[in-house]
Amino acid sequence: MASGALTDSSLTDRKWIARGEERTSLPRFLLWLTPWAALLAVGVYAAGLCLDFGLNQTNMDNRFAFGLWIFLDLGVIALGAGAFFTGFLVYILKRAELKPILNTAVVVGFICYSGAVAILMIDVGQPLRAWFTFWHPNTHSMLTEVTFCISCYLLVLCLEYIPILLRNRQLRKLPSFLVFEHQLHKLVPVLAGVGTLLSFFHQGSLGGLYGVLRGRPFAFRDGVFIWPSTFFLFILSAIATGPSFLMLVAATVEKVTRRRLMPADLFRRLGFISGLLLAIYVAAKSIDTLIWLNFTSPSAGFAPWQYYTHKPFGTPILFTEIVLFGLLPAFLLTYRKTATRRAWLLSAAALACAGVLLNRFVLTVQTLAVPTLAFDEFLQYTPSWQEVASFSGVIAYGVIVYSLSYRYLPLFTPAKGESNHVSGN
Amino acid sequence: MFPGIDGFHWTVGHVIFLSLFFAVVATILATLVFAVLRTKRDFRTNRAIELCWKSDFAELPESDRRCRHELAGRVVSRACDNAFNCRRCGKYAQFAVLPATGLTRDLGLHYPEDRLYHRGHTWVKPAEDGTFTVGLDELADHLVGSPDSIELPKAGCEIELNQTAWRMKKNGREIDVRAPIEGTIVAVGGPEQGWYLKVRPRLDPKDPVTLRHLLRGPEVHGWVLREMERLQMQLRAPNSPAALADGGVLLSGLMDAVPDADWDSVLADTFLTM
Repeated sequence: MASGALTDSSLTDRKWIARGEERTSLPRFLLWLTPWAALLAVGVYAAGLCLDFGLNQTNMDNRFAFGLWIFLDLGVIALGAGAFFTGFLVYILKRAELKPILNTAVVVGFICYSGAVAILMIDVGQPLRAWFTFWHPNTHSMLTEVTFCISCYLLVLCLEYIPILLRNRQLRKLPSFLVFEHQLHKLVPVLAGVGTLLSFFHQGSLGGLYGVLRGRPFAFRDGVFIWPSTFFLFILSAIATGPSFLMLVAATVEKVTRRRLMPADLFRRLGFISGLLLAIYVAAKSIDTLIWLNFTSPSAGFAPWQYYTHKPFGTPILFTEIVLFGLLPAFLLTYRKTATRRAWLLSAAALACAGVLLNRFVLTVQTLAVPTLAFDEFLQYTPSWQEVASFSGVIAYGVIVYSLSYRYLPLFTPAKGESNHVSGN
Repeated sequence: MFPGIDGFHWTVGHVIFLSLFFAVVATILATLVFAVLRTKRDFRTNRAIELCWKSDFAELPESDRRCRHELAGRVVSRACDNAFNCRRCGKYAQFAVLPATGLTRDLGLHYPEDRLYHRGHTWVKPAEDGTFTVGLDELADHLVGSPDSIELPKAGCEIELNQTAWRMKKNGREIDVRAPIEGTIVAVGGPEQGWYLKVRPRLDPKDPVTLRHLLRGPEVHGWVLREMERLQMQLRAPNSPAALADGGVLLSGLMDAVPDADWDSVLADTFLTM
């Protein structure tokens, strides 16, 4: 009897896990975390080297100034768009049926944005002078807008994460935490609105950043007023793939934990939203590509085929991005027969996410690799181990934070949890 | 950039960009400050206690949130949406006049009719002098048996309805017992005395509304029956099929008798804790 009680009370973390929730044993959970923690440790060490010795630890240079890190930043920020977009749908458009995925969306968004900011800090270097960007902002730079919006949005995500954190079984026992959680949660619609505004601009500005590169005709685009077309394409692609990424995260957690966490109908709903927006994005991207091929690039003195003569960046990459990772998943996500089958739905979501990653890769790496001047050569860049380790460290960080959040916080119960929030002022 | 920095001069771009940025920052910070201020106000006005209970109540499983009238068989099915606050329930009077239709059978537990019962397994017995005696009901008593330690509040302390009245420890587990009534403690007992607290109620003890939220009569039987069924399901052997025993009485000191059960869930469901 005594040993049973001892096992239950002191060698497990059961009292930190929400009542009624089944989780794996603490030793197994720690075993799962161990390799990720090791990867994170290597990543932190590599990041330390970069901050201590500078960017000579990387294989980037003045000519190839964007590499793996910027690809990672753009990728995770696009995939993390599910956070603001779900908040927008639930709180602004009142789509209450999406509530069960809301907490997971916030945690995924928090991981993506905090990871992106951490990598940016290593990339920019000198974190002690980070405040310079706020005191001496270049208001003509897209990057300034990105910096401001991402910093603010990370703050918003922290505030959205706090109510979820405070609903932990032990933390909620403190009345002040519980009441603060209640009050903060009631103000989350304000944060969702602010988050939508910020995300709209920073997703757009990240795209605009490439579109204004006149010296890089592969990326340069015409546009509307001060915004090149890539501004709008980045927003569209991010909100199209954000829900797909959330589906993949939820499905992965279901697979790992062998539990059904979300209703099948919610998967289909997210898939349809994602597919519909992806179809609009593919149409816009196709029109943009045709304009670029026929007008923008020739007017800059470049025949478009020139960009695709350098292997491995041939025309198949363009086909893959628009058709295989764009049109095909858009069809699979919206066509009733495939959308009702989980395997098709998740495969399509994976293709959509691969598409947005490929798009960010092309705009980051291919843009810099292809020559633009007569004496230029095709550049090749291979990231150093420090870059790869830092990259992997962020992935490990994401897995660890999500695993801890899933274990100790109510990530998949908001349908009930939302109604849990008592009415009153 | 800003005044005081060499070469600074305002342009329209600066004004638009920085105004927008600072408006956003101000909105975010104002949201945070607003939440803190409202939290403080809730504590100042004692609303925090009610909010905490409502929040805990909403986390209870559906089966724990059944209306007292369903327990008595006055209505077929009804979940409480009022955090068991029958004092302010608009439907109370409408259902209370209906005849109770629940079946009664001997459950092997003694629930005297001169007492009123809280869903957290405490009872309240009004005394002649206007105080209320509070104790642990028989099901909870059988469950815990003899506690390893008890942490009782001192006489003179205030207790709040549905908040922790006292704490017990058993086999390394902390058990928070919720207060069935709000008021000032005038005397402290213990398991040996058969009662734990004597309370002078904050509300008028003669007003029937004061004790309206507590179960009585046929409601108690329906409630205890369901609690017994829940216990049987929770205490069955691991991986065994769901089945209910059709006889026998509850053992005393179940926590000692069935040490390997999921006591975390059992205690949370019994004492309505998180």
